[in-house]
Amino acid sequence: MMKQIKILIFFFLILSCNGGRVDSLFKSIPKQILEWKAVEKDVFYNRKTLYDYMDGGAEMYLAYNFQRVFTRRYQGPEDNEITLDVYDMGSSPEAFGIFSCDREDPDVGIGQGSGYGTGLLRFWKDRYFVSIIAIGDDKIAEPAILELGKAVASAIDSTGPEPPILNWLPETGLIKNRTSFFHSDISLNNRFFIASENILQLSDKTNGVLAEFLAYGKKKSYLLLIEYEDAARAKLAYETFVNSYMPEAGDTGSVQTENGKWTVVKTDQNILTIVLEAPKVDWAQTLQTEVMSKINER
Amino acid sequence: MTKPITRRDFMRDSSYAVLGAAIGLSLGEEKKSRVVLIRHKDVLDANSNINEKILQKMLDEAVMTLLDQDDPVKAFQTLVKPGEIVGIKTNFWSYLPTPKELENAIKRRVMDAGVKEENIGIDDHGVKENPIFQKSTSLINVRPLRTHYLAGISGCMKNYIMFAESQPEYHPNSCANLGKLFYLPIVKGKTRLNVLCTLTPQFHGRGPHHFSRRYVWNYKGLLVGQDPVAVDAVALRLIMAKRAEQLGKAKELPPIPKHIEIADKVHKLGTSDLAKIELIKLGWKEDILI
Repeated sequence: MMKQIKILIFFFLILSCNGGRVDSLFKSIPKQILEWKAVEKDVFYNRKTLYDYMDGGAEMYLAYNFQRVFTRRYQGPEDNEITLDVYDMGSSPEAFGIFSCDREDPDVGIGQGSGYGTGLLRFWKDRYFVSIIAIGDDKIAEPAILELGKAVASAIDSTGPEPPILNWLPETGLIKNRTSFFHSDISLNNRFFIASENILQLSDKTNGVLAEFLAYGKKKSYLLLIEYEDAARAKLAYETFVNSYMPEAGDTGSVQTENGKWTVVKTDQNILTIVLEAPKVDWAQTLQTEVMSKINER
Repeated sequence: MTKPITRRDFMRDSSYAVLGAAIGLSLGEEKKSRVVLIRHKDVLDANSNINEKILQKMLDEAVMTLLDQDDPVKAFQTLVKPGEIVGIKTNFWSYLPTPKELENAIKRRVMDAGVKEENIGIDDHGVKENPIFQKSTSLINVRPLRTHYLAGISGCMKNYIMFAESQPEYHPNSCANLGKLFYLPIVKGKTRLNVLCTLTPQFHGRGPHHFSRRYVWNYKGLLVGQDPVAVDAVALRLIMAKRAEQLGKAKELPPIPKHIEIADKVHKLGTSDLAKIELIKLGWKEDILI
């Protein structure tokens, strides 16, 4: 009996390590939505084979804890197609992360956060990030895309927390549903271009957020909050950022940029905060102080 | 670390200066690489279907101008000879593939130049295993223009990544060394013509596959040249102009397209310097952007 239990545990672990969750999830996703039917075989890709599926986009997923993707194509009227991708990102913070680095479309209430526009639905729920895209006429495909999205969200029967670092963001002035979570510069630059080189010393060991705030209730500003593995790395990032982005700031940590707005940078232990596009230095520094207060409340 | 381009550069300078920093503009007086941009208002109908006759005419006119010839067959005969084995490296990317009509237009002229049909191959993912490409004496490089998560743009140089043994090997540092692809044994010295399809280019990417139809527009053009670096440099300028128009100045530059400058300065593949590129514009001028 003990031997049988061990064998069962062994197979459970194998399945877990090799995308067993997404492997079982796909079985509960309907093969027909409205008049759209699944065509060809379902296909799976892992961290090694993702390049076979994506042209260039793979790095965006590998920059997070991507585990495995299940993909299925549906064919509908007039030979239009939609492609469903269900990505197992390993954990809900990572699923939130890959979702959050694209904030261009309005939420349509699917999963724990979503965006839909012109034939592209994106949402996250628990450890899964889901993308459904039209190939062909997006207007014809739209009802099926949204229905399929709801079906996939229902098939995922659990939810998961957002990255803990989001709890350090001050609530006053924070613009909802615009915050992005990232580890690497490729993710940050895709959302908000900072520099062509990795001047913030980002890596898979860093946790960062880009958040948007309304200063004085009307002027949009940006907060970059980055948690490094140690204080030395945060200090190095401070130095390389100042040298490359605002060399004239010297030791002040602040500069009025060419658009008349302020960039203010500050480091404290392993935390780096940068406020960009701030209307006033004082406002930026207050925001940074509020962040540190929240962190120190831990 | 090389001097990075930062967000502030876009506040400080004109876009052209920023691009200059990226791809190394200068005002030298050397022999220029010729690139032909041709556009036709009616090459696409209201549903974006291609008029094959007009497309053939566009290709012919562009190649004749590129090579200073007065006849399309003569022009292609300067590129390929009877008895050659010609690989047409196309792009099958499902969201925005090379149009069949364009592949056919090229193939037709290669045959007109005297190459037997059985000695012409059209392929993308299978080029390494394709006997025509393995034995090819000439290559013609054709693909659509679009933005790319890593490389900034997918242009002529990016199209040859299928010849690589390992594609991820070319991904580091924003695909910086794509120019090296042209020195692979299966490719080296064989590329006679680069045709970058700008009938419906894509100026921005979204989603897992970096595609959303809203960022594709009917530009109705072709960019043609023998220097892949020069064609890509002009293409980048077109993409930047469209992004500035549609997305605003802060998003003018796609993910930094380092590979264009590096192909020039490091790999000596061609010319990235717009001042050293002779851009000839033919046909329809409305909303030309560059």
